[in-house]
Amino acid sequence: METNQSIHFSSSSSELSDNDTVTNYESQFSNHGKRKRKRSRSAGADKDCQLGHKHSRHLSEEHKHYHSHSHKRKLKKMKHKHHKSKHGHIDKECKHQHKHRTEASDQDSNSDISDSEKEKKIQKKSQSSSERKNLLDSNPDTETLDYNFDFSKYKASLSRMFFRENFFSKIAIRGSQEHDDFWNFVNKFVEFQRKKAEKSKDAKVQLGAESGQLNLPKVFDVSYKINISFISKDFDVFFKKNRLVDYQLEKELSRGRVLQFRSIILHYLDFQQKQKFQKIYKICKDQRELPIYQHKETIIQMLQKYQVIVVAGDTGCGKSTQVPQYLLEAGYHKIACTQPRRIACISLAKRVGYETLNEYGSEVAYQVRFEKSKTQSTRILFLTEGLLLRQMKTDPLLEMYNIIIIDEVHERHVNTDFLLGVLKCVIKQRSDLKLVLMSATININLFSNYFNGAPVLKVPGRLYPIELEYCPVKTDDSVDSKRLDPRPYINIMQRIDHKHPSTERGDLLIFLSGMSEIMAVVEAAKAYAQKTKRWIVLPLHSALSIEEQDKVFDYAPDGVRKCVVSTNIAETSVTIDGVRFIVDSGKVKEMSFDPKFKMQKLQEFWISRASSEQRKGRAGRTGPGVCYRLYDESDYNSFDEYSTPELQRVPLDSLILQMISMGLPDARKFPFIEPPNMSSVENSIIFLKEQAALASDESLTPIGQMLSMLPVDVVIGKMLIMGSIFNMIDPILSITAAMSVQSPFTNRAYTDHDALVARKPLESEHGDPFTLLNAFDEWIQVKAQGQGTRKWCKRRGLEEQRFYEMTKLKRQFKDLLKDHHLLDREEATARYMSSDERRAQHGERKKLNELRKEKMKDNKRRKFLTLEDEEFKVSDEEGDINKGDDIKDLEFRLSNDLNQLQETSNKSRNFTLRDINLMKIILCSGLYPQVAIPDECNTYRRDTEQTFHTKSKPFVLLHPTSIFASHPDLLTPKYLEHKKLSQSELKGLFSSKHELLAYVSLLETNNKPYLVNAMKVPALQTVTLFSNSIDTNADCTRLIFDSWLEFKFKDALTAEKVISSVIQLRSTWHSLLLVRLKDTFEGLEEDRRISTRARQLERILASKLTEFLNADFLYSIRRVLAAEMQRAYVGPGKVTDQGTAAMFDKILKVNSMGKEHPIKGGIQVTDYLTFNCLLDDASASVWGEFTQGMQRFWKCPLCGQSMLVNVLERLQHEAVCSSEGGQGLEQLQVEDSEKISELNPLRKSYFCTECNKELSLTTTEILKHKKTHLAT
Amino acid sequence: MADDKQQHDRRVFSCTTCDFTVDYHYKGRKPPFANCILLHEECYVLKDPFSTSGGFVTVGGLCSMCNRDVCLSNGCSLFYTQRFCTNCSVKHIQEFPHELQQEIMHKLKS
Repeated sequence: METNQSIHFSSSSSELSDNDTVTNYESQFSNHGKRKRKRSRSAGADKDCQLGHKHSRHLSEEHKHYHSHSHKRKLKKMKHKHHKSKHGHIDKECKHQHKHRTEASDQDSNSDISDSEKEKKIQKKSQSSSERKNLLDSNPDTETLDYNFDFSKYKASLSRMFFRENFFSKIAIRGSQEHDDFWNFVNKFVEFQRKKAEKSKDAKVQLGAESGQLNLPKVFDVSYKINISFISKDFDVFFKKNRLVDYQLEKELSRGRVLQFRSIILHYLDFQQKQKFQKIYKICKDQRELPIYQHKETIIQMLQKYQVIVVAGDTGCGKSTQVPQYLLEAGYHKIACTQPRRIACISLAKRVGYETLNEYGSEVAYQVRFEKSKTQSTRILFLTEGLLLRQMKTDPLLEMYNIIIIDEVHERHVNTDFLLGVLKCVIKQRSDLKLVLMSATININLFSNYFNGAPVLKVPGRLYPIELEYCPVKTDDSVDSKRLDPRPYINIMQRIDHKHPSTERGDLLIFLSGMSEIMAVVEAAKAYAQKTKRWIVLPLHSALSIEEQDKVFDYAPDGVRKCVVSTNIAETSVTIDGVRFIVDSGKVKEMSFDPKFKMQKLQEFWISRASSEQRKGRAGRTGPGVCYRLYDESDYNSFDEYSTPELQRVPLDSLILQMISMGLPDARKFPFIEPPNMSSVENSIIFLKEQAALASDESLTPIGQMLSMLPVDVVIGKMLIMGSIFNMIDPILSITAAMSVQSPFTNRAYTDHDALVARKPLESEHGDPFTLLNAFDEWIQVKAQGQGTRKWCKRRGLEEQRFYEMTKLKRQFKDLLKDHHLLDREEATARYMSSDERRAQHGERKKLNELRKEKMKDNKRRKFLTLEDEEFKVSDEEGDINKGDDIKDLEFRLSNDLNQLQETSNKSRNFTLRDINLMKIILCSGLYPQVAIPDECNTYRRDTEQTFHTKSKPFVLLHPTSIFASHPDLLTPKYLEHKKLSQSELKGLFSSKHELLAYVSLLETNNKPYLVNAMKVPALQTVTLFSNSIDTNADCTRLIFDSWLEFKFKDALTAEKVISSVIQLRSTWHSLLLVRLKDTFEGLEEDRRISTRARQLERILASKLTEFLNADFLYSIRRVLAAEMQRAYVGPGKVTDQGTAAMFDKILKVNSMGKEHPIKGGIQVTDYLTFNCLLDDASASVWGEFTQGMQRFWKCPLCGQSMLVNVLERLQHEAVCSSEGGQGLEQLQVEDSEKISELNPLRKSYFCTECNKELSLTTTEILKHKKTHLAT
Repeated sequence: MADDKQQHDRRVFSCTTCDFTVDYHYKGRKPPFANCILLHEECYVLKDPFSTSGGFVTVGGLCSMCNRDVCLSNGCSLFYTQRFCTNCSVKHIQEFPHELQQEIMHKLKS
């Protein structure tokens, strides 16, 4: 109570502060102090507070209260005081009540209010207001405080007095946002008041509104409009004692000034409140204005009645943000809302959190692949479709949710369709689970019917009328049909100029199918724009840099229109405001997938009617618009109704793997909303088997299990697993990250000569994945050296954003591997940071915050374009650094230890050939069977096309972005470097240097198939290690891999060596994988380190692998045609030789795999190796039979057993021996190293400083070894 | 995800003049989450949703004449020593000082 009082009476007195008042204050204070002592005994603070509230309303209660607590004779005085406590402004007058007691109260006569208490109160008030009038009149010599006082000079003292309370503590902190805001306000407010005072200097005080029942003070005072006040103990003390207890105040801070400052604070509080209220009010108002708001109740009611409902609404109706909120309000609180895109999850969670006034809470949260904000108290969770599917592995019935919203179902992504199918099953088992499908108004019945006629709610979007005009283009045969004719597009620009005055704003958006079409139109449109000066032409497609893309959002100057020439990216993903005109070419280039060749195809199609409508709708977002369709209405009618769903266009590998891991063993029987092509399903199953992810019975293999846990592509997943196993993880992480994001090479990178030259040092002769690695590492280096990476990137035609994405992805992959125990968790290496470093980091953090703030401001106001803007120039000045880049740079520096990154990138600069070969093998473990063999007729000269053959697709070209396309000489086989060989010589040439191209994808554009992201790999090693079937002849000198590549060895000895190495390597590899994966699955509960056994196996495998990679086996290589393969095999039951037949029985006892292959004939030694199933040429077969039966003495290098065996027996023994877990190989190695040095007396111990190893080598071998280092 | 229990005590403020509604945390003069703040009228108060460091927002009050819940927006109410809903302030426009009369007329128009 007493505190209340002290505040009230002084709250807004500054305007009044005459001497009288001040004295009065004093007396009040002393009174108040006395009472304090008394009252504090009788009532607790809480009670006081409550009483305070009551007082304001019911004066009578005050009376009662005070009767009970204070002396009667004090009552009169107290009443006054309590009255004062209600409202500061009234208090002022009250103080003078004694003086002006005689004043007649101008009274209301006819009060409508029946409440007698209220009347009393009002009387009092009116009395006091009239008194105040007198007061002002009676004090003509009032000391008026001017507004020339600079409060900011006394920040310290004022902070001391007012801002020690918790509530204000932020204002007291120098440099805080609150501090700055407040003092800015103070300055502005004082300035404002001063000006106002000057203006109204001569103006008379306006008096005398009628008095009535409201009993308002007669003289206007702004402070009466403030409903807020605050307590400050220090201020109270100051007022009582005219000083602070423990602080010396400046003289200038008189009571009057302090009061004035107090009033400013009140104004500040009031201003802040109004601002915040407006914000909340606006949120609510905006929500009410959304079209979906009209249907709020309907949605809730429908959900009470039905388990599944469909909400169909067009863009802008507000369904994505509002429906989750409606459900929350209706009492659902375990709400999941799926989105096809990660970015949408984050932005929607932010938006909905803001709208539900929960911006900083976690009631509304998001969870995406690598990030989440979800907590225990989350009620609405935005997540990706993929993640919800993953959650079903641990929670098959999704019991953590009671309602699931699937947004954007009409987009029909693979995961959308999969999720719909899975949920269809789940809701049968969970009658309490509700499902809301949200879609654009496209194909709604499909969804409704899929869920047994679920009710549909249609919500119209907010669209203005759009005028539609069909202007079909007459195809002119004289013009080269390959290149798009831009004239119809320019015509429309002319028509717009003609018809609509340039004062009428409104931009143009042109939809074209692809990049080359965009370039053609942009070129012509720019020429037109130069003439008219009325257009700014801007291209928009995904290969542009972010910066260039962002230009489409800027404003055009007055009298000039933007002409945005775009792919279908502007159809849904990018929304440009202010578009009034649309030109629709009716075409789209879409990626389709040819499962037969595992080839992606970029083809041009007519669009669907649905997307044609979508394009049209883009004109009517902000006002009425016009849409020109460059096709005939009859064309439109013949369009497909809807676009092809993704499921029918993409490989299904990951999907099927995931299905099986979720316990849906047969993808063929899954109830898809629209089933995919069966051959696509079958092909994916075959592919997964080839990748060893599925066993022959289509169950998951350990590696398949692992892959299904990693939320990445099968190919990438395999590389990551292998990379971690071979301790090559960092470069592999970089390469896989680079493969997973869009290429950092922009369009310009291939056209701009300067960029080409500048980029040259980054190029790797090994291939595109290594060029990417180089670019990334070099970028890190440049960053670490503290140079401007932005400029560096621009010069080379690189998009820096991609590198930031790669860094992020890399870290995410790494975390993923750690989570699954494929990587050791690094010990918390709290790297020692010097105080300088710490200071620097602190500075960077601060700068980052500042930049972010500035960026926020920047974002709010879009930039204005100038007519020159359409030219995108590379400026060499560092001055044009944009804030967004700086922010990213700082974020990068703060979240990554640059030193460490630089170290690893330094390492990758020092890769030896051996490292590179190992990396190639790791990459191939994922890529195989995506390899291509060069055509024999390739000349490897520039300006000629080199062709390649994959197993299923002959005559494939190098993609123009590949390093090999611009430098085909790099592909020249070693044996051709010095001498020319004729074609016949080339055929069947024995060499150890045959190479294949491994590629990441096969892409068809303009009807030409291209290899994308290709690298050179050693043919023999790659194929022998990864092929799924190896067929041999009788002495293994002729091998056919995966039924399409034939290798021949010069002699049986080499062949034997190769085959036995392969068997050993593959089985060691396999057992290592098993050990590691076992570790992984067992280690889930404990942070276990990688077992020593695995480590040992790794070491052995790595060294054996190196040996194998370095070995110089002479062989020839040839592509076997499919027709040939039909006659290649012996076939079953053809083993006539008695000896072999007899051997059979013997073997069958030894090895269960030693069965005759049912189709090929011959003996199946391991799951991949079939011995002696190839029909040899007539001449060789005789010899073959001879050698096949011939027995020799042979000592198994693994178990050391000596035996008399033929080739087959030997192979079988080896297979058994090494499959026992690779122990044999371990022993072998130990023995090897001993034996070798024994055997060769010339060998001596040599310590190589490069590889930091003790080696045993002959002098020539030492030289050779040194040379390997030099080579890199 | 959140448990069922947490769904209790949702207190909703609705303005009787416009359709503004919002969940509030406290009604009164001394919001417990803004320790030194004191209001001159009984208000509907929210914890500041736009800040992580405490604070409060007043969203509505009661008209001192007709006792109806009104929000603080310009169109709905006015504070001048006490709160008046637009209706009441218009009814008694003559009693307000000139400075406010203009403001009230403006409200009436909007």
